[in-house]
Amino acid sequence: MGLSSKTSEKIAFSLLTLATLTVASFVLVILVYIILNGYGAISIEFLTEMPRRMMTQGGIYPAIVGTMYLIIGSMVAALPIGVIAAIYLNEYAGENRTTWLVEMAINNLAGTPSVVFGLFGLALFVKYFGFGPSILSASLTLALLILPVIIRSTKEALLTVPNEYRESSLALGVSKWQTIRYVVLPAAIPGIVTGSILSIGRVAGETAPILFTGAAYFLPRLPDSIYSQFMALPYHLFVLATAGTNIAKTRPIQYGTALVLLLIVLGLNLIAVLIRRHYRNKLKI
Amino acid sequence: MTEAVQNVSQSQIEVENLNLWYGEKQALKNISMQISKNSVTALIGPSGCGKSTFIRCLNRMNDLIKNCRIEGRVLIEGKDIYGPDVDAVDLRKNVGMVFQKPNPFPMSIYDNIAYGPRIHGANKKDLDGIVEQALRSAAIWEETSDRLKSPALSLSGGQQQRLCIARTLAVKPRIILFDEPTSALDPISTSRIEELIMNLKKDYTIVIVTHNMQQAARISDYTGFFLMGELIEFGQTRQIFHNPQERSTEDYITGRFG
Repeated sequence: MGLSSKTSEKIAFSLLTLATLTVASFVLVILVYIILNGYGAISIEFLTEMPRRMMTQGGIYPAIVGTMYLIIGSMVAALPIGVIAAIYLNEYAGENRTTWLVEMAINNLAGTPSVVFGLFGLALFVKYFGFGPSILSASLTLALLILPVIIRSTKEALLTVPNEYRESSLALGVSKWQTIRYVVLPAAIPGIVTGSILSIGRVAGETAPILFTGAAYFLPRLPDSIYSQFMALPYHLFVLATAGTNIAKTRPIQYGTALVLLLIVLGLNLIAVLIRRHYRNKLKI
Repeated sequence: MTEAVQNVSQSQIEVENLNLWYGEKQALKNISMQISKNSVTALIGPSGCGKSTFIRCLNRMNDLIKNCRIEGRVLIEGKDIYGPDVDAVDLRKNVGMVFQKPNPFPMSIYDNIAYGPRIHGANKKDLDGIVEQALRSAAIWEETSDRLKSPALSLSGGQQQRLCIARTLAVKPRIILFDEPTSALDPISTSRIEELIMNLKKDYTIVIVTHNMQQAARISDYTGFFLMGELIEFGQTRQIFHNPQERSTEDYITGRFG
């Protein structure tokens, strides 16, 4: 090696810094670009009114509401199942073939392209169960999509709870379930919350899974039940940008929609950070 | 459990031919021992000799370990705790355990102590009294009475360990197992815990695993010496330390190995 250790250290450090800066600058560029282009479109009317004139004017209120419904619906379905499955896998299931298979299935589920989830949701929820294209079908499809994320992050969170807590609780004559309920789960909540909110970001942003399961091209009213079709921000953006009646004219609305979507996801991430900090201070680990 | 006590004997714990395997490896070999009521029994021996494994047989903590197989009998107050009708969860209410590392729950001091009684259905209005009583018995009431709502993890290591003892006392066990309770503590905290253990003997039967021979000599009435899964010698502490019958006991006590 011709280089002194000091020089190679310097080169390595520069490369690492450069890589990090590249990533950070791309994020920044996207953010700034969307803010600059979308900023002008945002107004009270934009956020609270229906689209008008073939979506070339007016607001995106129904798409915001639709995305909110999807978040709530998919969380209601996926959170309890995911957390319970993770508890079972981490606290009860032994290390055997069945567990291994289940873990494999979950990992593969996490790697499945989202459009496949969309087709599956169409076949199962829309057709087989007869929910039709609806909030219900789309929420359940998205729930399947985020289930592996929730299971994984909950498992991670449970793994970080020190075994001493479990042992000392059991040594007090407390049953295993009570130990999980009163000691393990509270200590794992920050991690579980973080994982769930990250998956909310996915729900808010995914287009393919809702494409076949209930998202409407255009719907000048709010959904009135879980069996209604709905508009959603990512699909609305897709429609405006590719199939709208006047793509060039709606450019500002497109960026405005993107900005709203971005703000919702960033806002949720911020909430995740705050919740995690709150619990961490409370537990004082 | 209680009826049988009087007519058995003074020994509260009777271990008969206890063998334990972790998978293929035998960790305890044919241990028999009688532990008297209201006494302190110390178990000493080099690392890996089986003393911690043994103490965990007395409250069935080994049940949690996979591939752990146990033969023999452990009678507590005359009843085999490995019998088919014994619930390990109930057993552990009577046989408490304090661990090597102080391990309070990430809750307030008050909630740490109230944890066990609450789950075991203590009346809400009795809780304050139970908590105070437990903290007093563990000699930590003075230091904590004005900060019961603060996080237990804000206490010092020695205080945390006394808190863990108080947490165990709050469940009102009759036997308390200590698994090297002072090995993570400084000398002053250690001596406070030793003093506490000697006081607790009045009301509880105590079994303590320790690496520290001086500690065993200072606080125990009986001492058992373990080596490679066997109980080499067991008797009154004075006799074990002053007049050991076995060569290996003497070698260990005089510091020739371990």
